[in-house]
Amino acid sequence: MITVSNVVKSYSELNALDSLSLEIKENSIFGLLGVNGAGKTTLLSALNGLIEIDSGTIEIFGLDIKKDKRAIKEISSIIPQHLAFYEKLTVKENLDFFAKIQNASNDALEKAIEINSLSSILEQTSSTLSGGQKRRLNIAIGLLNSPKIIYFDEPTVGVDPKSRNEILDSIKEYKNLGITVVYTSHYMTEIERICDEVAIIAKGKLVEQDILENMLTNRVSNKVSIEIVYNEDLNLKDVIIKDNSIIETTEEKLYFTIDALKAQNIAIKQIRYGSTNLEKHFLDISEASNV
Amino acid sequence: MFSAMIKKEFLLVFRDKHALLALFVMPAIFILIMSVAMRDQFASEKIDFKVYIKNLDNGSISKKLINKLQDDKNFILSESETNVEFIITIPKDFKKDDKKLSITVMGGIKNDLLEIFKSKLLKNVVSLRIKSVATELAPMSSEAAEAVNSISVSYDSLFDIQYEKNQQIPNSTQQSVPTWIVFGMFFVIIPMSTIYINERKQNTLTRLTSMNISISSMMLSKIFPYIVINHIQVWIMLAVGMFLVPFFNTPALEINGDISALVLLSLSLSFSAIGLSTLIAVTASSSEQATTIGGILNILLGAIGGVMVPKFIMPESMQKFAEISPMSWGLDGFLEIFLKSADIFMVLNESLMLALFGMVCLIISMIILKLRISKGL
Repeated sequence: MITVSNVVKSYSELNALDSLSLEIKENSIFGLLGVNGAGKTTLLSALNGLIEIDSGTIEIFGLDIKKDKRAIKEISSIIPQHLAFYEKLTVKENLDFFAKIQNASNDALEKAIEINSLSSILEQTSSTLSGGQKRRLNIAIGLLNSPKIIYFDEPTVGVDPKSRNEILDSIKEYKNLGITVVYTSHYMTEIERICDEVAIIAKGKLVEQDILENMLTNRVSNKVSIEIVYNEDLNLKDVIIKDNSIIETTEEKLYFTIDALKAQNIAIKQIRYGSTNLEKHFLDISEASNV
Repeated sequence: MFSAMIKKEFLLVFRDKHALLALFVMPAIFILIMSVAMRDQFASEKIDFKVYIKNLDNGSISKKLINKLQDDKNFILSESETNVEFIITIPKDFKKDDKKLSITVMGGIKNDLLEIFKSKLLKNVVSLRIKSVATELAPMSSEAAEAVNSISVSYDSLFDIQYEKNQQIPNSTQQSVPTWIVFGMFFVIIPMSTIYINERKQNTLTRLTSMNISISSMMLSKIFPYIVINHIQVWIMLAVGMFLVPFFNTPALEINGDISALVLLSLSLSFSAIGLSTLIAVTASSSEQATTIGGILNILLGAIGGVMVPKFIMPESMQKFAEISPMSWGLDGFLEIFLKSADIFMVLNESLMLALFGMVCLIISMIILKLRISKGL
C-alpha cells in the first residue's frame, strides 16, 4: 500500500502539491489524471524520493520516504516523460550500463528486453531508433531493477497510435508480474483502458479518487464509445476516431457505425454508453484551468 | 558500478567527433604550426646581417675594416647587392676623420635589429679608429700609443653582466609543446559539458539519482576518464614535438627533466582542467552556452597565462598578472622540466596549486549540482 497524507510541496509561491492525500493499493494500476501543471510529475518525484516534501507523510510498502529513501528507491522505478538514456550508445550498451549500475540480474535484463521487444534492435544506436522504439527502451531501463512499483510519467507523449497501443498493452502485463503501476496521463482514453483505480488532481489537490468502474457508470450524454482492435486503415464517416482504436459516436448512429465496422471486418472489443464521471470531471477541471 | 560509469563516459567521448578534434587534432596542429612558424623568432643562435660593401676608398684602413667585418660572425659579406639587408659604402679618403660610412637599409628591418646592426658596426669602426690613432701616435710617444692601443671595445671588457634569475629562453618547440598541451587539456570542457548538460536536460541525471547513484559518485566517475584522456593528449603532443616537428627543420623537443615530474604535473593540470570544466558544465544551462563560456574562458586564461604570448617577452607587470591563470602554473612547470631538467620536487609548487584549484572548482560544482537536483534541475 502507498499512502500519501497531507503532502505539501511548494516552489517559490507555487503550491505544486497542496495538502494532497491518497492511497494506492498494492498490485494495481493506478491512474493519475490531471491537466498540465496539475502536480502529477511533482507527486511522482516525491513518491520516488527525488524531491523533498515540505510537510506531510508518504509511506510506501511500510517504508517512510524521509527515513528509508534509499530502500524505497531500490524497490521503485520511474519512467520519465523525457527519454532518459544515452542517444550515442546502442540499445544494448544503454541497457548494460543501467543494469550494471544497479547490479541488476541477467534475468531482469533479458526480461526487460523481451517484454519491450528490443531483441532485434539491440545493436542499433539509440539516436537512430523510431519514436516508439525509444519509448520502449526508456521503459525497459526502468524494469532492470525488478521494481515492486513503477511510476510512468506520461510515457506516451509524442508517440504514434500503434506504439501507444503496444506500450499500454505492455503496462497491463506488469500487473500480472505483481508490480504496482502508477500511471500519469492527461489522456482519458489511456486511463480508461488500463487503470483499476483513478485519482484526478488539479492545482496540487485531489479532486476525486475512485475505482474506474464507479467513475465510468454515470451517463450524462447519449455518446457511445466503441473500442475496436487497433486498425490503421479505418474508413468511417460522421464519427470521431481516437488513436485508431476508439470510435466515438451517438446512440442514434450506433447501428450504422457497427454495420460499417462489420463491413470492414473490424472486430469490436467493447461498447460503452454515455459520457462518464471521469470525462465530466476532467472536462470541468480542464475548463477551470483554461486548458 | 564505477567501471560501468567510466566505460559509458569513454564511449560517449570517443563517439563525439567534435570533441576528439578539439582534444587531439587541434593542439597537435597548433604545435606543428607554431613551432615551425616561430622557429626563427625563438632561435638563440647569433644574429647575422647580410651586407654588401661598396668600397670607394683605396686606402689600407678600408681594407682593414672589410677584413674585420669578414672576421666578425655577425656579418655575412655578399659579393653582390642582391638579397642583402644592408649596403655599406666606404667613402673615398675614409681615413680622414670627417668621412662617414654610408649605410643603405634594404627592405623592412625592425628598429631593434637596426640598433644591433649599428652597435656591431660601431664596435668594429671604433676599434679600427683606435688602432689607427695608436699607429699615428707611435712615432711621437710609444707609451701614449700603447695606452691608446690597450683600449678595448669588446663587450666582455666593458660590461660585467649578471643575471638575477637564470632565465633560460626556450626554443620554439619547447615553447609550443607545453603551451598547446596546457591549452588543449582545458578543452575537455567540450565533451564534459555536452555530456553533463545532455544528462541533465534528458533527465538521465534524475534517472541516475532515482537509482541511488550519489552526486559524488557521478562526479568521481567522470574525473577518471578525463584524467586518462588528458594523459593521452599529453603523450601525443610530446610525441608530435619529439618526432614530427623535426621533419620541418625545427628543433625536436627534448625532455631533460624527470618523467615522474612530468606525470605529476600532467595529473595536477588535468585535475585543474576537469574541475574548471565541471564547474562550467553544471552552471551553464545549455551545451551551447557551456562551450561558448568555456571557449572564451580558455582563451582568456591562455592569453593571460602565456599561451598566446610567451611570458618571458611580457612586461614585468603582465608577467606578475599572468600568475593568476592556472594555465601559467602548468606552463611554468613544463618549462622547468624541459629547460631546467626539473625533478618531482621542482614542480611540486605548481602541481599543488593546480590540484587545489581543481579541488575548489569540484567542491563548488558539487554544491551547485546538489542544489539544482533538489530543485528538480
